[in-house]
Amino acid sequence: MRFLHLVLRSLLRSRRRTVLTVLSLAVSVMLVAILQSVLFTLDSFAHNPNASNRIAVRHKVSITNLIPYRYIEWLRQQPEVDAVMGLQWFGGVYQDPKNFFPNFAADPEPITRVFKEELVEYSEAQFKDFVRDRNSCIAGHALMEKYGWKVGDVITLKGTIFPMDARLTIRGTWRSRRGTDEQALYFHWKLVEERFPSLKGKIGNFWVRAKNPDDVPRLIERIDRHFADAVEPTHSETENAFQLAFLKMMGDYASMIHAITAAVLVAILIVTANTMAMAIRERATEIAVFRAMGFTGTQVLGLLMVEGLLLTVAGGGTGLLLSFGMAGAVRQTAGTFLPYLADFTIAPETLLLCAHATMVLGILSTFIPAYRAVRRPIVEGLRAL
Amino acid sequence: MSGNPIITCRSVAKSYWRGELEIPVLQGLDLEIPRGGYYALMGPSGSGKTTLLNLIAGIDRPSGGELTVCGSDLASLDDDELAGWRAAHVGFIFQNYNLVPVLNAYENVELPLLLTDMGRRERRARVEEALALVSLTDRMFNYPRQLSGGQEQRVAIARAIVSDPDLLVADEPTGALDAKNAEEVLALMERLNREMGKTILMVTHDPKAAHHARIQIHLEKGVLDKTVERHDPTHHDLAPLPPNDPRDGD
Amino acid sequence: MKVGYFFIPLAPYLLWLVWAALRFPLPLSYNLRSLWQRKVGSLTTGLAIAVVVAIFVVVLSLSQGISKAFVSSGRADQLLVLRPNARTELNSGVERERVRILKTHPMVAQDDQGPLISAEAFVVVMLDKADGDGGTNVAVRGMEPAGVRMRPQVRMVEGRWFKPGLPEIVVPRRMQQRFAGLALGRTLAFAGQDWTVVGLTDAGGSAFESEIWADAEELMRAKKRSAFNSVIVRLQREGQMADFKAMLEEDRRLKLEGVAEVDYFAQQTEAGKPIQVLGNLITVILTLGAVFAAMNTMYASVAGRTSEIGTLRALGYRRREILASFQWEAVLLCGSGGLLGACLALAFNGIQTGTTNFQTFSDVSFAFTITPGLMLQGVAFSVLMGLLGGFLPAWRASRIPVTEAMKG
Repeated sequence: MRFLHLVLRSLLRSRRRTVLTVLSLAVSVMLVAILQSVLFTLDSFAHNPNASNRIAVRHKVSITNLIPYRYIEWLRQQPEVDAVMGLQWFGGVYQDPKNFFPNFAADPEPITRVFKEELVEYSEAQFKDFVRDRNSCIAGHALMEKYGWKVGDVITLKGTIFPMDARLTIRGTWRSRRGTDEQALYFHWKLVEERFPSLKGKIGNFWVRAKNPDDVPRLIERIDRHFADAVEPTHSETENAFQLAFLKMMGDYASMIHAITAAVLVAILIVTANTMAMAIRERATEIAVFRAMGFTGTQVLGLLMVEGLLLTVAGGGTGLLLSFGMAGAVRQTAGTFLPYLADFTIAPETLLLCAHATMVLGILSTFIPAYRAVRRPIVEGLRAL
Repeated sequence: MSGNPIITCRSVAKSYWRGELEIPVLQGLDLEIPRGGYYALMGPSGSGKTTLLNLIAGIDRPSGGELTVCGSDLASLDDDELAGWRAAHVGFIFQNYNLVPVLNAYENVELPLLLTDMGRRERRARVEEALALVSLTDRMFNYPRQLSGGQEQRVAIARAIVSDPDLLVADEPTGALDAKNAEEVLALMERLNREMGKTILMVTHDPKAAHHARIQIHLEKGVLDKTVERHDPTHHDLAPLPPNDPRDGD
Repeated sequence: MKVGYFFIPLAPYLLWLVWAALRFPLPLSYNLRSLWQRKVGSLTTGLAIAVVVAIFVVVLSLSQGISKAFVSSGRADQLLVLRPNARTELNSGVERERVRILKTHPMVAQDDQGPLISAEAFVVVMLDKADGDGGTNVAVRGMEPAGVRMRPQVRMVEGRWFKPGLPEIVVPRRMQQRFAGLALGRTLAFAGQDWTVVGLTDAGGSAFESEIWADAEELMRAKKRSAFNSVIVRLQREGQMADFKAMLEEDRRLKLEGVAEVDYFAQQTEAGKPIQVLGNLITVILTLGAVFAAMNTMYASVAGRTSEIGTLRALGYRRREILASFQWEAVLLCGSGGLLGACLALAFNGIQTGTTNFQTFSDVSFAFTITPGLMLQGVAFSVLMGLLGGFLPAWRASRIPVTEAMKG
């Protein structure tokens, strides 16, 4: 501790260099933190522990094909099944296409049972109203806040897939543990079905809730086997697999992000190593003087390493702080067209990753020039004037 | 004040290697320097005077011979032990002062004490004492860039004595100073030798500086050339004579 | 994000720099030699800039690839006829009666084989990706024979076109890279029957690279559909577009909506939005980091040459000559890094990838296309970084007094 002021003061030796190094480090770490967090956030949707009881059943050919609604009877009869809910992505527009949020036409009654983990706080009375009123809907709390809706308001969704306008009275809302789970709106499938006779008896997909997560694989296999030879065969998968398939459709973003992260880290390592080497080279005489005074090689090496580490940690720390600020911007921009990122924040796993990377960076970039400086004979350093 | 000499060199040799070529700088040098001596090492460039200083100060290792300084056989100490030995026994004074620019005078002087196990209060007392000795108490918290060349060198001297070493080595201490400051620094060094009994070994070109030393040792091509004693009536009770050297002009 | 825009405000400074290089006595070779003398510093900074520029060029090429896939897909004299308010063909429906009416309209262009109108069916099928990483939705477009003639940018490369009434498909050759089982002669099962691949096409990087084509009637039959999704119409003259659109809405027998083909594809570029936004974000951030790093290197270089600069001043070189010289040094350093980076980016050329257009719910294939123009943009970008990062240190160099020459 008595040596701390030596290290700190050394950083002030060239204020400009210290600031520029910290800044370039901060910027790089900020980028890496954001990219890795995006990756982590997206992946977490395919690894949602709350989804372990749920199965998505859709048409084997494509999610855009409809399946017969009567399948629900067989599904409900399965002993492992707790509840089944028919669901159709409506994709309606509220006022402006930019106001994007997921909206579904669904079976109203089973919602609270099937999505028990997400509908954490809600009013039973409100939900009873919703079930009773065919022209009503429920919306998550975050959505209500975003558009200033109150229970009792009437909103209109312009259909894009289904050419109709849905005039809906908001009958209820719910709160979840995560903001992303409060971004959806549900109304009655019957409303769409009665408008288009060709859709009668059909639905987009089913959400099947198993009583026990262990039954899920068996159930999946049985469902698909049962409907394999039907005119409309099914494809069932766990909710996480379903989400993963959606994420994959966006493209190979994981590879892109990993590639960019690696490139940035390599670049910053090179730059920082050079800066450290430069700084240490300049102090060749001073290092020699310290050793002449009686500081051992190890002591001097230690001082230089601590200095290097402090510098990189300062840069990395600043970068992480900046990334939290940027996270807000990402939420505003990307969050609008990618609902996955509505809740975007820097994940603890990412913080840890960046912290480790920064420390490794500090050690790697400082060690070699510091070690070489300390191994050089003292007289050489003194002569280096 | 006789007794064991503080520095004993026996057949000390040092060569440098340039690729395959061996370049000898010191060749079989014998020397004894008593405690409390004030010696000037002189000679043309390439004579090996700085090399000899470096060997005695323990910042370089001889290629051959025996070197005993302050009671330790330097060849038998490894690098870390040598570092510890230097911290305990040697104070350095450089031509370019070599103060740490980001530390103030107090902190520069304190540096050697950080290697001891002294507590903060004790270090403070020593630093203040050292700075008082060089008459720079009022500049204690100034940074090197705020000091003149002479003041910087005095801070460096304070740093050299703060841990109370037996031996002070100086490499051209007045080389970067003007006449007035050089005088002040040399007077200071003389006081250190006279009043505190510090042994001083100084490499210098400057005949005026050499004049302050009591004994001048001249080196030529890596061997002792001649030894010149300064017989000054006002100071004669101090410097003990070196052992008989067959090449003494006497 | 055109790099060129940033150069506009800097134009006068740039002109002065060029003039300085030509007229000022300090040669650029001095700068090159100085960079070479400080090899390690120059190399590391150059490498860092190379990485940034490589990322910039690759991301830009992605973005361009997406734009190309859409924008170059439309003709100014063709339009899509859809159900009103359907934003995409997938959500649209046009009955046979209306198609019949359209085919007789006088504004419709004709060639020797009949009216250039194609009623089209649009479906989405799931195909397995070639890398085994799951499957994705791919568009299948059923068209009438006129439809092939109306899209001359799609050329048959191997095999032949599908015959009307037969379960045959043609597949863009590039799709074979990304999806399994699309070889000539192989069959693909969808819509309850097997379809044979009879031809491979080249769609010139347009949106049609992402579509499998088949006969409309056959597709409708297999899907048991009674209405088409859309109708594509070529007009006799571009200028008739507005009138034709009005007619579509007003004619009570039709009540349809027309969208110019060019506009239709342009509005679908939304699929590329996330990637473009991400790309821009990454580039801006990295530039900042690179500029800081370049500044650091240049400051160190200047600091190490103070006596050299002082000497130059003592010899009579003026401040602005020193400024220009050091600015050029920074530009040369970053420019070389940029050149290296642009070449590194070339390694990505031709790699096919894709994303999903969530509006049509189908795959959009595109390739990383590293063009010389793009590489030039990358180098220009690095020059910009050199200008920004090098200015302050160069300014500093120019202010070093003559007295520094005397100091050690």
